[in-house]
Amino acid sequence: MNCLELRRAVMVDPRRLDTEALAHAERCDVCRGFLADALELEAGLDAALSVSVPHGLKERAMGRARDDPRLSRRYALAAGLMLAIGAGTTILWRQNDPLALAGIDFVVFEESQAILDAKPSDPDDLARVAVQMGINLPWQLGELRYIGTCPFAGTMAHHVVLKTAYGKATLLLLPGRTQLSRAAAVARGLEAVVAPATGGSVAIIADSSRSLARIEESLQNG
Amino acid sequence: MLVPGRNAGFELAVNAYFNDLYRFAYWLCRNRWQAEDLVQESLVRAWRSWQGLRDERAVKVWLFTIVRREFHRAVSRAARPEPVTDADDLASSADMASGMDLTRALRELPDDSREALLMQVLGGFSCSEIASALGASEGAVMTRLTRARQVLRRRLDPADARGMRQA
Ligand SMILES: [Zn+2]
Repeated sequence: MNCLELRRAVMVDPRRLDTEALAHAERCDVCRGFLADALELEAGLDAALSVSVPHGLKERAMGRARDDPRLSRRYALAAGLMLAIGAGTTILWRQNDPLALAGIDFVVFEESQAILDAKPSDPDDLARVAVQMGINLPWQLGELRYIGTCPFAGTMAHHVVLKTAYGKATLLLLPGRTQLSRAAAVARGLEAVVAPATGGSVAIIADSSRSLARIEESLQNG
Repeated sequence: MLVPGRNAGFELAVNAYFNDLYRFAYWLCRNRWQAEDLVQESLVRAWRSWQGLRDERAVKVWLFTIVRREFHRAVSRAARPEPVTDADDLASSADMASGMDLTRALRELPDDSREALLMQVLGGFSCSEIASALGASEGAVMTRLTRARQVLRRRLDPADARGMRQA
């Protein structure tokens, strides 16, 4: 690592330098001084960002969250249904399709790692798979941010990340996974559908139902 | 209790991250009253889709992402998303800050740079975590963070900034 590389790394994140960068700073006086200044700025940043939290706000916010009328109604309905059918299972959760929910979990918990781990794949391969599955890839909806392959729900998925006008969306093309009917889930601030396709299925995960609807429509109609 | 532990898990997560979430909201809005609304609305949304305690780190990223999404939703609803800065705000944050200059420089950072910097410093997230939360590439996040620090250094010490541009 040379001085220029060290300075670049320090400007990105002076608190997470790797051992190579730290070793350079140790033996190079100029960079050691640069790093010391940077860490001083970080200390100043910590202090400046630590505005005081209004007294009682946490309790008010928690109270409001749990009294949310929309949620209470949903709970009341679910509880009523449970009484009616006498089942001890959680009705609320049953509305979420497991595969669609797995798509949401993938985006929240695994997607960034999958992108880091995978070798980005050839757009032509993806286009071929899409044709085989009878899917029109919705390029007109947004900017293509990433394509690659990764394991998902016991099969190999073609993983596509799109930046649309409505926000980020993820597509998982699942050639090996047949699906008889459309399934959906809403969780963790995201929405997902799994739609049947020729010889497989496609999962779409987005942060709004509007975005999801637009993408689903264009996958089918091109 | 419909789902045992749902409530307790949520409370644990909120207790652990509330201060950082409020500060994140504050520095997005740059206004105390808007930040209070934002953080409350975000918790309502979070609780609606809360299904249990998962990996702690992922929960933290998730909560920050909700605050950010609610902020952008609010901004897009407002006709003119200018932050209203009242004197109280500046005074109270300046009390906590090592200097008024840094506070002011932070307020004036470009939105995308400030957002990335807040997620890094307040959230403690890595560039790849920030990239995935913002829906941006890791390279773009690194550029935003570098720009943010360049601006802050330049504001605090114009002589120092010249050295930085050579870096
Ligand atoms: Zn050096």
